Amino acid sequence: MKKTVDVSIPLGPMHPCWKEPVRLKCETAGERVLRAEVELGYMKKGIERIMQGRPWQEVMFLAERVCGICSVIHNMVFIETMEKISDIEVPPRAAYLRVVVNELDRIASHILANFSYCYTIEHETLAMYLLNTRETVLDNLERITGSRINTAYMIPGGVRFDLQPGDAAALLADLAKVEEEMKRYVRIFETGPLIALRSKGIGYMSREDAIRAYTVGPTARASGVEDSDLRLRHPTYRELGFTQITRTEGDNFARIMVRFQEVFQSIDLIRKCVDTLPEGPIRGGGLCKAGEASYSGEAPRGELTYTIRTDEYGRVLDIAIRTPSIMNIEACAHFMVEDATSIADVTSTFISSDPCIACNER
Amino acid sequence: MKFLYEKDLRQMKYNILTSTKHDETVRAIAERLGMSDAKLRMVLIRRFDMSLLENLESRWQMGQRHADDGDPVAEELGYELFTRFIPLMDTETMQTIYGDTTAMTREMPFEEAIAKGKERIREAIRS
Repeated sequence: MKKTVDVSIPLGPMHPCWKEPVRLKCETAGERVLRAEVELGYMKKGIERIMQGRPWQEVMFLAERVCGICSVIHNMVFIETMEKISDIEVPPRAAYLRVVVNELDRIASHILANFSYCYTIEHETLAMYLLNTRETVLDNLERITGSRINTAYMIPGGVRFDLQPGDAAALLADLAKVEEEMKRYVRIFETGPLIALRSKGIGYMSREDAIRAYTVGPTARASGVEDSDLRLRHPTYRELGFTQITRTEGDNFARIMVRFQEVFQSIDLIRKCVDTLPEGPIRGGGLCKAGEASYSGEAPRGELTYTIRTDEYGRVLDIAIRTPSIMNIEACAHFMVEDATSIADVTSTFISSDPCIACNER
Repeated sequence: MKFLYEKDLRQMKYNILTSTKHDETVRAIAERLGMSDAKLRMVLIRRFDMSLLENLESRWQMGQRHADDGDPVAEELGYELFTRFIPLMDTETMQTIYGDTTAMTREMPFEEAIAKGKERIREAIRS
């Protein structure tokens, strides 16, 4: 980007509001932000290159290490891509258990995103409440899968552990507690006058701009982009009667509220899965074969795509990962932040799009 | 003193553009424009920031799905595709080329007019 003004304000790479290093260079005229540019490259892992040539059993563990916040969906999309290549069927019970774990991970991710936003707009009380509730969700993830973050729960043809009757009861009891607490926090968020001042009408992105940048996930849904949730096309979610949540305001407030609404939706989905969990095995078996496929799943931040080419032994010859943050960060820098009336809104707007730099710099 | 973040970003940008999917996209755009891959990479590195380069593949996909529906001249030239989705040109320049090409289609065969229009687009992108 050509420099057109005298004052170029860098935010980051180390910034108190950023969870990960990224540099946002803002060109300003007074308080007005004329344009912004994102500089990446502070934590490049080269994980796709590390994956090449390794057997799927190793790549499975590497895949969920692309991102520490939404690791379950990386595991899920990688495994479902391998299943697509190898025509492996998943037993119905395993398919439902995948939804349970995936939705728990989504709740944890959305709560963390909203925590970051509340922390950025200096509403630390609500932020800490949210983090506290997130712990309950992570405890349940650990109870079911044995791990809080890198669960490696899904394998080709099924899942690794069944849901024990005692665990199911504890999960439902905890979800009731989480739901009750979240209702209170949403009320605080919706009615807070200072929150509204920092959120409503700030960081606006129109539906057309959202489509132009291929914005995905809650960021797109907050701008009114229909049919932007890949769970609508996932067979298990369709069985569960999933419908997309959409808002039309397109501002910071809408993006946070979409995530809050999706937390309640995920709770309902988990309940439905546990109540109607089919009997049967959790592993169907199957061998990974040679082939090439591209498959997308709905991560907490939006569309996550894996393109994989394998050989006859199930070794990953080539892999390309497209994470949702790539699209959302770009949209944020070029549409939401551009023309902001105050430099103070840049940080909160950037955080409202839930940027994951680890995902972006795979 | 030169800080790490003040370094030249060309190598990082080049790494983004040469990853599997991005390389495919760059080749597809270059073919559409009728210019060499290397030249296009150079232009992209010079004009686009890193997030825009990372998002190149998605924007290209969306551009092919949504840009220039209906108008054959705009579709052939990539009016919206190369101004709104892959912003290689500014709208004013594209508008001028589009206007001139539309006028030319009335005076000469359609393909010939489009070829002339595309040549002007290439010149504008290279400049």
